[in-house]
Amino acid sequence: MATSIHLDTVRKEFRTLGNTHVAVDDLSLDIPEGSFTTFVGPSGCGKTTTLRMLAGLETPTSGTVSFGDEDVTDLPPQERNVSMVFQSIALYPHMSVRENIGYGLKIHGVPKAERDERIDEAAEVLQIEAQLEKMPAELSGGQQQRVALGGAFVQDPDVLLLDEPMSDLDAKLKSDLRVEIQRLHQELDTTVVYVTHDQTEAMTMSDQVVLLRDGELAQVDPPKQLFDYPNSEYVAQFIGMPSTNVVDCAVEERDGGTALVGPGFALSLPAGVDVSPAGRVRLGIRPQYLDVGSAGACRLSVDVEVVETLGTESVVHGRLEDGTPFDVVSDAVDDAVAGDRLDVSFDLADAFVFGEDGETILFGSERAGERSSSPAGAGGVTP
Amino acid sequence: MATSSGRGLVSHDTQKRLQRIAVYLTALLISVFTIIPVYVMVVIAIQSPATTFAGGRVNLLPTEPSLRNFLVLLGSTDTVRYFVNSLVVTLGSTVLSTTIAVAAGYGLTRFDFTGKSLAARAVLFSYMFSPIVLAIPLYVVFSTLGLLNSHFALTLALTAISAPFCIWLMWQYFQTVPIALEESAWVRGASRWRTVRDVVLPVARPGYISAAIFAFAVAWNDFTMARVVMSRDEMYTITVGASLFLDRVSIGWGETMAVSLLISIPPFLIALFLQRYLLQGFSVGGLE
Repeated sequence: MATSIHLDTVRKEFRTLGNTHVAVDDLSLDIPEGSFTTFVGPSGCGKTTTLRMLAGLETPTSGTVSFGDEDVTDLPPQERNVSMVFQSIALYPHMSVRENIGYGLKIHGVPKAERDERIDEAAEVLQIEAQLEKMPAELSGGQQQRVALGGAFVQDPDVLLLDEPMSDLDAKLKSDLRVEIQRLHQELDTTVVYVTHDQTEAMTMSDQVVLLRDGELAQVDPPKQLFDYPNSEYVAQFIGMPSTNVVDCAVEERDGGTALVGPGFALSLPAGVDVSPAGRVRLGIRPQYLDVGSAGACRLSVDVEVVETLGTESVVHGRLEDGTPFDVVSDAVDDAVAGDRLDVSFDLADAFVFGEDGETILFGSERAGERSSSPAGAGGVTP
Repeated sequence: MATSSGRGLVSHDTQKRLQRIAVYLTALLISVFTIIPVYVMVVIAIQSPATTFAGGRVNLLPTEPSLRNFLVLLGSTDTVRYFVNSLVVTLGSTVLSTTIAVAAGYGLTRFDFTGKSLAARAVLFSYMFSPIVLAIPLYVVFSTLGLLNSHFALTLALTAISAPFCIWLMWQYFQTVPIALEESAWVRGASRWRTVRDVVLPVARPGYISAAIFAFAVAWNDFTMARVVMSRDEMYTITVGASLFLDRVSIGWGETMAVSLLISIPPFLIALFLQRYLLQGFSVGGLE
């Protein structure tokens, strides 16, 4: 039975040689039962530590972890009905594939006949029937990962934990296994918690994405919401490929209204928007939302440095006149070369405004009366 | 070095050939110094002294193999008794030392405790002691406890010399066994003991077999400890016993070489059957 997971002000400190390192800092979070939740963030943000606390491999310094109504904070891993797939895959080298998958069932005293039946079923789902009698060393990386997955879900866990299970696989295998894992999730009655540093995996597979920063919660939302409404500069820059362009702007009074003045452009804001007068703000624009040419209200020039062609579209890496790095994704820049100057434009609807503390103080799409619909989908995220 | 595409003083092929010749010469030289003594031992052991020394010279091409030397050993010495003593203490201390090493190596790599690095350094430090340094204090200890002339005492003494290195070896080996293997078993419901039995020990097998071989070699070849702990003739090990043969008038070169041959058999068998594990274990310990 899938179970919901609740973290209440969970804190984890590690002490080494008198230094205290806070890996997870008072994290509170609810994970609905049966959902697919992904923890994402850069290395050292506490995502794996959080997962290990869910598994029982680490004990929180303070706070509680509950599965449904049951407080499991201090339960050892053996007493939780969880399965975990490790980053290092961790197959037992001395056991055959069949024994590897069935080890958990054997521990729980499932009779051999039933064990074999369930192993065969799992192997069929994962398309590794032909490998069952081989040893792990004879398998390819992708097959090993499938075996690890099989060992995890054959036990019918309440919670399935996956710790960067694909970080050592090549891109093609990754996209195959992504589909595989989602299919498994649909078939199984289990809550999946997935840890990754790869935002593509987070955005494509999850019902809910938890973005962490230095052990603290940065934002938790469904992928599309996270992409369209990042609550801070950090989230806006982490989610989306390439990263959101962020430009320093001055807030100035112009023509009776407020305008954001950046290197080579000025963006006037609608009346009533409160951006700390005379302060500095940072303006965020996703590279995908820039139009080549002058269709948008606000125009600026980019000095092209590198052009990457991705097939239908290209990524232009360039700089604004003051040297701020600035990227543009477009299908209309095929002939751009380094040294060119590219004219691009955008509207307020395409922009985020971040305060000096990095919090989002304005979602352009909410305040641009004439263009309320979002100009591009989350499709821009996946390469 | 200038090995660029045959443009040096000698061509690439010639270099390779020279290299091979050097390797073979070295191997030959080493074989001469190891094989010849072993050959001499075997030949003298399997000929009667009369044949060996016939004609006033040493005959090293066996013409009349005989078991006469072995029969003399069996008939007029305590060789069998010594051999059994050796086997008992060697097996005992091999098992004890390996068990201690596996437990200590697992503990040192899997648990954090105060004084851990001190303990680890102490292990390496105690490995520096030569057996004779330990022998006298151990004699005093065993004498006080009334344990002199017992297999048990010699087993402990031999373990004291082999355990430090075995611990160090297992400590190194366990560092190469990923903790994720154990964690994966725990999450699946296996207790710590069950995990040790099902996962840790099978994976660490090359490591503890190496440790056992080392402990065996130390114990089997020991002379010092046996000489100090055992003072009664019937408790001597084969090494001590054999060394005394030369002092006896009734025992000659033939019998001495025969007993040497007997002493060589167990290590030879072990090297023959377990060398695969030995190399695996020692390469992890950085001793390749």
